[in-house]
Amino acid sequence: MKVRTAAAIFAARSVRFGLRILGKGATTLPGKVALYMDSELLSHLAEGKKIIVITGTNGKTTTTHMIGDTLADRGYAVVSNVSGANLATGVATSMLEGLPIEKKAKRENRQVVYVLEVDEAAFGKINGKLTPKVQVVTNLFRDQLDRYGEILTTRDFITNGLKGAKGKILLNSDDSMVASLGKEREGNAVFFGMNSSSMESITVTKGEKKKVTEGNSDASFCIFCQSKYEYRARSFGHLGEYCCPSCGFSRPDPSFSFSFSPSWTDPQTGKKISPSEEDYPVLLEYNTTGFLHGELKDTDCSAQRQIREVRTTVPGLHNFYNLMCAAAACTLFGEEVGDEGLDFSHICEGLQSARPAFGRMEKIVIGDKKLCLLLVKNPIGLERALSILSEVSDAGSAYFLLNSNIADGKDISWIWDVNFEDRHYPKALFVSGERYGDMLLRLVYAGVKKENIQYSPIEDSASLMEKALETCQPGECLYILPNYTSMLYLRGIMEKKYNLKAFWK
Amino acid sequence: MQRELRLCHMYPDLLNLYGDRGNILALQRRAQWRDITVSIAAVSLNDTFDSDSYDLIFLGGGQDVEQNILRNDFVNVKGSAVKEAVEKEKIFLCICGGYQMMGEYYQEHDGNRISCLGALQIWTMGEKERLIGDTAYQSTLWEGEKGRLFGFENHSGRTFLKEGVKPLAKVLKGAGNNGMDGTEGAIYKNVFCTYSHGSFLPKNPQMTDYLLEKAMKKRYGEEYILPELDCETENIARKTCPSFM
Repeated sequence: MKVRTAAAIFAARSVRFGLRILGKGATTLPGKVALYMDSELLSHLAEGKKIIVITGTNGKTTTTHMIGDTLADRGYAVVSNVSGANLATGVATSMLEGLPIEKKAKRENRQVVYVLEVDEAAFGKINGKLTPKVQVVTNLFRDQLDRYGEILTTRDFITNGLKGAKGKILLNSDDSMVASLGKEREGNAVFFGMNSSSMESITVTKGEKKKVTEGNSDASFCIFCQSKYEYRARSFGHLGEYCCPSCGFSRPDPSFSFSFSPSWTDPQTGKKISPSEEDYPVLLEYNTTGFLHGELKDTDCSAQRQIREVRTTVPGLHNFYNLMCAAAACTLFGEEVGDEGLDFSHICEGLQSARPAFGRMEKIVIGDKKLCLLLVKNPIGLERALSILSEVSDAGSAYFLLNSNIADGKDISWIWDVNFEDRHYPKALFVSGERYGDMLLRLVYAGVKKENIQYSPIEDSASLMEKALETCQPGECLYILPNYTSMLYLRGIMEKKYNLKAFWK
Repeated sequence: MQRELRLCHMYPDLLNLYGDRGNILALQRRAQWRDITVSIAAVSLNDTFDSDSYDLIFLGGGQDVEQNILRNDFVNVKGSAVKEAVEKEKIFLCICGGYQMMGEYYQEHDGNRISCLGALQIWTMGEKERLIGDTAYQSTLWEGEKGRLFGFENHSGRTFLKEGVKPLAKVLKGAGNNGMDGTEGAIYKNVFCTYSHGSFLPKNPQMTDYLLEKAMKKRYGEEYILPELDCETENIARKTCPSFM
């Protein structure tokens, strides 16, 4: 090992040790120090390692957790970066933390895998250095526009990161901006998405008149020729079965697809179970023939099409994408490293052990009630959270928190891109965060009566949370929808109050 | 008595970045609370634009790519109808990209000039550095606290007003049109333009009401007076915004 790298590692270890003594989580500082000392640190550390990289707008953390939990279940020692530490410094810190883990794993005859969540802009700079076995792009949605300016800029970062990529590139077939990254990478691009029939069954057909005050689509126009896409079916946001009538670019057939299980209908009542309920049954399929569409046929060779039912603890349509993505990433990883124990079947089993990530549908039991944290960082995330809020059967009240710090994006205009109108809300609503005024205004303009909303500045957000919990009946759940830094703030309070595991442990 | 206003949302599928549809929601809501229904009609690529069918016209902001897609349609196909509407004193609200496109041209930093509609005598110069941040402006329409406009700007274009076009406001915090001459936005006849997101109207209800009253007077006669409506919730949002003063 180069002297520079060794010195950098030593420095990082000292920093980490010092921080731990001070009782602080060491999520990025050790990496920062090491990168300063050795600018090629990541390339040096990544050599010969088994790495999976996950990027995209939403679902990175959830997918990273699912992959990590699944591989751990299959016997791997998993090194992952903590939520929020997904820039070069956080990735470097994780790689450094992996060094002692590798030593230990060697003694125990276990393999080590690095499952790393990487921010989109950072992906552009560092993916090439990490040379992962599998790189994943979950989706692309508008997010923190004041940081990047335009969604296509974000896509360009990702394109940069994929230059010369070896290993498999796992892409969301239903997202035209992501699927298009597969062009000219046909050799190693693999797709995951929603089964066509299932998508058709949930597509809402609108009347002749276009409803223009609905939430916005980020990708209405063909990325190659700018003609307007036609959709045969839609999932959510701009995800769906798109086709460009002009140049013919259309949704590729995903090798990995998820569909609604027949058991999603309650046999006693005949009612469909909402995809937002816990323990939701999802069918995951791995089709190696690559040419068949979604329906089950008697003549199918089971070796080419494998279908497994998984009961997910992280419900919601967007999380089914994350689930499928994680299963696909683990399967492809197994193929890349030649681990036969990582076959699709065993992976689907392992997925059942996946727990929600910090703040992503994290459910916490408080006495005879529950709290559920639904982190919302951008319009589509908030749309999905509002859908879940409308669909679940146990919502006692809802609590919105909005901050506008740098990590959140200083521009809160994005809340107006979200369809708050025509939703089913619990009777009592609560609002806090530094920008509570804007969130209050948004709700009132969406038709919620001001008298049904209690609000407070962030300093009083903890006592407001208690009030919110009090309005819930036993068995009900308080759904909390914070954005990034307001979630960190609230969770800090909750950790002390309810003795929760600190997020960096 | 139930009355109505007809709003035209131009290119909603292309100019839809930065939450600008909040402006439409604001108009609808503050109208609804006064028993006025605001109906929305979408007019996009290849649709005919008949300004007589509308009382208010809205153009939002968008990415460069999307603006390029609609440029030909806006300038060459709908162009004369839009210019006529402007001269006929139809009420327009234009944000960011929509604002720029109403002008004469957009000049990229390599000198290349892109022709825009030319309905307003303004022009824009694109620079690499974006002007981003919370803003506070003093509107030219009112004095004092009532005239304060709060929002968020995010643009690489620097817009300059020629004679005949007044600014919408004076800059108190932020860059405004170009970060140089202290002006923000533009007013020409009944066309109101701004770079402000936030969205613009929700936190500036005096502006929402101003546009509603203008539209109502044009539609139902000059004697019409918009009923008073409190701005309690809007004021809470104003006070908690970072650029509040």
